[in-house]
Amino acid sequence: MIVVLEVFTLALLTLFALTSVVAAYLAIRERDLVRAVVFSAIQSSMYALIYYVLMAPDIVLVYIPVSVGLIPAVLLFVIKKTERYEGE
Amino acid sequence: MVAKTDVFVAISIAIFVLSLAYITSLGGLGPLPPVDVRDIAYQYLNLTYNPWRRFLTSFALESVTAIIWDFRGLDTLYETAVFYGAIIASIALYRGVKITHSRGGTGLSPIAKTVTRLSFVLIPTVAASVALHGHLTPGGGFQAGSIATVVIVLAIIVFSRYFLPGHGLSKERALLLRSIGLLGVGLTSIGLLLISFLLGVNAYIFQNQAKLDAPLSYPSLVDDYTLGGSLLFFNLSEFIAVAFGFMIVFLLLSVSEEDVREVVTRD
Repeated sequence: MIVVLEVFTLALLTLFALTSVVAAYLAIRERDLVRAVVFSAIQSSMYALIYYVLMAPDIVLVYIPVSVGLIPAVLLFVIKKTERYEGE
Repeated sequence: MVAKTDVFVAISIAIFVLSLAYITSLGGLGPLPPVDVRDIAYQYLNLTYNPWRRFLTSFALESVTAIIWDFRGLDTLYETAVFYGAIIASIALYRGVKITHSRGGTGLSPIAKTVTRLSFVLIPTVAASVALHGHLTPGGGFQAGSIATVVIVLAIIVFSRYFLPGHGLSKERALLLRSIGLLGVGLTSIGLLLISFLLGVNAYIFQNQAKLDAPLSYPSLVDDYTLGGSLLFFNLSEFIAVAFGFMIVFLLLSVSEEDVREVVTRD
């Protein structure tokens, strides 16, 4: 039973980690900065899930509002002050 | 639309990450940390709530909060000071910029406003419970403060930046409230020391419960309800300081670039 749980936990961690890697790549690739912020938020929420699986609920509670709420908000404000699309 | 090369590159990065993780798990990038509970972790877990070792315990039920605000409290005080300095710096950058009430920012559609009005009740409730139960369940002052900031950001984005100042929460008042929160952190950290001067006994900075040579302690139990001594006061003060500190930053960031440039070029 314990082995099954361990494998399940590792599989979940792998899934979240790989999704975060893909989201990070897409965030770097994206020329539309608003969409890049959304990809970055997806990446961060994957990290939050990883913290949850690793039994760190204190970090999850601060990570979700900061990484999904506040950092995208700051970035969107900053994008509004410059340009939305990244040039060549 | 995601291009084929993107998929190819994403898969390659994923394979690279997986192989790196596999090598790390085998100890290829340095020795692996021990799996069993280390001695210091054992001590912290043992002393978080331990009525049989009264002079060492913090009488909280949550060991992370006990470590953050009691065992390693001074570290957190300096972190709070860094946060305070960062906000001061952002206020200094935006000096002279006014958030006027006059211009008619109307915000988003009525649908978005109605949904956001609901969250004006729900999110602060969650934040308050996270702060007030920080010594019992996962959470604490900083967590609660950042959760409460989400509602402030929502108010600024959905109702326009004139909404909060128009309802009595101006930048100056937020600065005052944040200073009150920081004052709470400072007073709680030296509270027992101040009382010990009056009573003529020994006490330490950041003392929560009584020590062998320092008899004073914050209340740890009120009618069967665990208070965790100073932790509750620390969490509450930090909650206020963080929430209103973030609020100042977001209010300043929401000022339009033209207004800021006008003030900056004038100097």
